[in-house]
Amino acid sequence: MSAEKKKVLIIGMAGGLARITSRLLLSEHPNWEILGVDSRSLHDIPPLKGLETLSMKYSRGNFENLFRAHKFDAVLHLGRISHSSNDADILAKRLELSVMGTNRILDLCLRSGVGKVVILSTFHVYGALADNSIFLTEDAPLKASIKHPELRDVVEMDQLCGHFMWKRQSELSTVVLRPCNIIGTQIQNAMSRFLNNPMALRPMDYNPFFQFIHEFDMAQVLCNSITKIPTGTYNVAGSEFIALREALDLVGSKGFPFPIVLAKGMNDILKVFKIEVPEYLLDYLKFSCLIDNRNLRQHLGDDFLRFGIRETLELIRLR
Amino acid sequence: MQLSQALQMVWGNTPEDDAKITEVFALLREKYQKYQDPWGFNLELCEKTLRTLLPVYRRYFKVRIFGQENVTDNSFIIVSNHTGQVPLDAMLITIAFAIDIQPPRILRAMVERFMAQLPFIGDLAAQTGSILGDRANCQYLLENKESILVFPEGVRGISKNTTQFYRTQNFSQGFYRIALQNRTPILPIAVVGAEEMFPFVWHVKSLAKIFKVPALPLSINAFPLPSPIDIHIGKPIEVPEDLSPEAPDKDIKEQVLKIEGQVKKLLAVGLKHRRPFFDEIRKPLSKLILKQERDER
Repeated sequence: MSAEKKKVLIIGMAGGLARITSRLLLSEHPNWEILGVDSRSLHDIPPLKGLETLSMKYSRGNFENLFRAHKFDAVLHLGRISHSSNDADILAKRLELSVMGTNRILDLCLRSGVGKVVILSTFHVYGALADNSIFLTEDAPLKASIKHPELRDVVEMDQLCGHFMWKRQSELSTVVLRPCNIIGTQIQNAMSRFLNNPMALRPMDYNPFFQFIHEFDMAQVLCNSITKIPTGTYNVAGSEFIALREALDLVGSKGFPFPIVLAKGMNDILKVFKIEVPEYLLDYLKFSCLIDNRNLRQHLGDDFLRFGIRETLELIRLR
Repeated sequence: MQLSQALQMVWGNTPEDDAKITEVFALLREKYQKYQDPWGFNLELCEKTLRTLLPVYRRYFKVRIFGQENVTDNSFIIVSNHTGQVPLDAMLITIAFAIDIQPPRILRAMVERFMAQLPFIGDLAAQTGSILGDRANCQYLLENKESILVFPEGVRGISKNTTQFYRTQNFSQGFYRIALQNRTPILPIAVVGAEEMFPFVWHVKSLAKIFKVPALPLSINAFPLPSPIDIHIGKPIEVPEDLSPEAPDKDIKEQVLKIEGQVKKLLAVGLKHRRPFFDEIRKPLSKLILKQERDER
């Protein structure tokens, strides 16, 4: 528990991960102040000492006003729009917010003397490919958008941050986190929805390996990234991994066995009704994309996670 | 005699082999409980597969092994010639190292990318120990004291036509750089007999292109002929201490040629001492090979 006062900005406060992170930060550092912003409604966030929330449109002007009005010591950028939609309008919005928006936020951080900025990226930047090496390190090429151009916002945002990080390392400490699948009761990402769907497809022809991190553990890594993790890009995952079918058994999924090789054809039919599954996700049901966590372990120790992979999945089942 | 007993006689394992498999897998279970395999290697499935395939290995291909005394309790990169259109040689070498060679081990065979992405087959290959031939993957396995089975001829080895049987195609160099990186000794191997499983081969390149597969060799028989197989194991070759994994291609090529030479020597010995099951085919073939070698000289 530190006595030092700090002011932290959390972008994307309406998300489950931001809510847990803010609570954790304030319990670890009661003297800190947090301002959580989001373009979505924040009325359901329970009041907490040290936490202020602001619902505002994500615009250049609004962010400039925010940085003029407050002196932030650290910024947690968790406000990337989920990439689990193929809609063309949303893709344009994603590109605008994730790439252009992040660029503006980094620029504002630099100009207003923020000490640390943490950006939440994703392991999806590597892409699920048949020729993926085992345990991809942070230096592995980001190949997600080669096969799936709709993921270019995710890849471009990550690369933009990486470029900024090293160019401005003497002025601002930047941490880019590439977590594996974050799952938990408050997370509403594509993987959580897949695991929670009692009729989720159960691949017959492929059984790739997955890494999962509990939302609480991910929030803890975000808290630690402000104080313990130096400038750099880090994969965030435990050392355990699990085969998809075993994971589905653990969460109690009763989905019917289905050959994933036929899923693309079926998805094309679903596209007509606009209820298709993003195609890149089908690749994750075919090929493993395991990430190496050695860099992060150097700073947080070998047992930096509270929940093991099986425990994490069983907690989902308890819902 | 009941049908099951008759089947057992034709297809089943002898009580000695059954006991051996049980003993070997007890040892392997002890070894593999220490770490989780990220490719999905499944020891239970391997045991079942081995119990099913051992009669094929023993009675159909009548596999003999020479030079097993050269195998020590080390991690190796095992380099073999590649023969037959369907890579059954990999299966037979793997069974040999699991059952007939001490200490028992499950070799991790490197496979092509196209194989890893095939539905069902990719998963089955991974569960029985195969992995995508990639440097990082090999590094991980060697760090975990596994032995890797490599066919440096790649698909060129299995898509040879009859006139090229037992003539090694140019070895690729990737495996040697991996060996240098990990200072892992190389164990040369020659498989004799597998070429004749599919005696006539026509490589349908145009169809291979359509199906997006690296090779599509076709033969007159869809089922492998019962050619007797000999596996010759050479002495381990240590990698030079003063050669870097980043050495120029010409330095690596020199070493790779030495290994290719060792495999060729083992092949020559093997061809000389092989059983005469395919004598009628072998003689003209041997003459052809000798003639081609003379021409090359």
